[in-house]
Amino acid sequence: MIKVARYQLVTPVMFLGLPWAALAAVFAVNAAQGGGGNFRGGLAVMFLLFFVTGVQRIGRWLPFGLALGATRRSFYAGTALLGVSMSLASGLVIAGLQAIERATGGWGLSITFFRVPYLLDGPWYATWLTSFVGLSALFVYGMWYGIVNRRWGTLGLLAFIAVQVLVALAVTFACSRAGVGPLRLRPAGAYPATLSALELTGVIAALAVVCLAGGHATIRRVTV
Amino acid sequence: MTPAISVTGLTRRYPGQVALDDVHLTIGTGTITGLLGRNGAGKTTLLRILAGQEFPSSGSVRVFGSPPAENENVLRRLVLVREDQVYPDFKVSHALRAASFCYPNWDTGLASSLLEDFGLRANKAIKSLSRGQRSALGITIGLAARAEVTLFDEPYTGLDAVARQVFYDRLLAEYADFPRTVVLSTHLIDEAAALFENVVVIDRGRVVLDAAADGLRGMVTTVSGPVLAVDSFTKGRPVWERRGLGSQASVVIVGQISGEDRERARSLGLDLTPLSLQQLVVHTSGGQVGAGSLTGRTSA
Repeated sequence: MIKVARYQLVTPVMFLGLPWAALAAVFAVNAAQGGGGNFRGGLAVMFLLFFVTGVQRIGRWLPFGLALGATRRSFYAGTALLGVSMSLASGLVIAGLQAIERATGGWGLSITFFRVPYLLDGPWYATWLTSFVGLSALFVYGMWYGIVNRRWGTLGLLAFIAVQVLVALAVTFACSRAGVGPLRLRPAGAYPATLSALELTGVIAALAVVCLAGGHATIRRVTV
Repeated sequence: MTPAISVTGLTRRYPGQVALDDVHLTIGTGTITGLLGRNGAGKTTLLRILAGQEFPSSGSVRVFGSPPAENENVLRRLVLVREDQVYPDFKVSHALRAASFCYPNWDTGLASSLLEDFGLRANKAIKSLSRGQRSALGITIGLAARAEVTLFDEPYTGLDAVARQVFYDRLLAEYADFPRTVVLSTHLIDEAAALFENVVVIDRGRVVLDAAADGLRGMVTTVSGPVLAVDSFTKGRPVWERRGLGSQASVVIVGQISGEDRERARSLGLDLTPLSLQQLVVHTSGGQVGAGSLTGRTSA
């Protein structure tokens, strides 16, 4: 597992630096456009890149990893561990940048970049926890996509997406019928009515565990 | 002594195709084996299964007595160099550094010297390498890993003759200094024939020839000359192929040719030409002839 992590970090800039470089670019664009106090969703690029990195770490890195004698199990565990560790560190940095943004009145430009309404708008530890869980979840979700693609190709990937859409519709329908409505939006604030940010973090953590288990089950019979 | 590789009843089926069909094979430690056969014969599938990259449909595969699939104790003692290897988007030096983490006997000096021999720059991006340069990278990893089982699947695709000679020379030197079990799948049969101690020929998923290379040399001979003389000489001998052109005939026979046989052939005005390994593979593959008389490891 450690060998796999070292292999994944043989080009550390690609793994660790790319999401932050992209985020810095988006931040610069936001700053150039001026703040105005409105959140424009720029931080989402970080989460998106964690998903993409998860996909990539399977598609391009698994074949050579197995050629170097790694087992599927150790490759998966090592890569996931690295992704989760990176999420933990990145979450802490996001919490720190959020604190600075808050203290400086939006970097002196009234920019709302690291404060995401409802989701990342609480104390620093809540921001750390939520962003850590969110980044980890997207990383392992991306890994699962990469594994499905490697194992069953494009058709398998389409089927995988279709199943997820069906599951999401079924859950929404069931919640609606039961009157729970976790996804129901408040007209005024447009925020979920029944879940706090930390509760939603718990739901995302549970989904991350499902993705982790699903990816593990899928990679066991992957061939290269 | 436990053989390096032991395969029993190995079958691999894909939808609409049987890639390997009841393969039985044993490869001893410290040998160089040529794995030969036509395109699509099943060589790559066999090597991938040995390296744990593919799963058998049925049958048993053992490397150092244990199944290789998901077995770190086996896999860290084994390296497979494939012509179609997919690399991450990084440089030659990154690939070598990653390999150095994974193989306990990795020799950095050897890797550098091989790069020099092949004229390959370490700071070059792998995606910008030519086909031959990618092959050179694979060979460098395969040899510098000094893995106890080294599997080469068409390792020198795109390499020029000089680079191929470098590969043969370095392989033999490495093999002499650090003996290991080498399986080399190749289509350049006659070029690599001198390296092989054993030869395994696969055709349509089945092992059609498994013999010691020394035992094969002179085992199959083409007899050519006047029809009557050829018929007289070959009478009672196993015949693989017979061709006639007017009063001349050419017959491929199986079996050692003794000194007495040579004398007789000379007196009958016949030419005796031993089949090269490549010709032998051509004859045993593609259903031209059965290789029953050669199957089973022939002693030297």
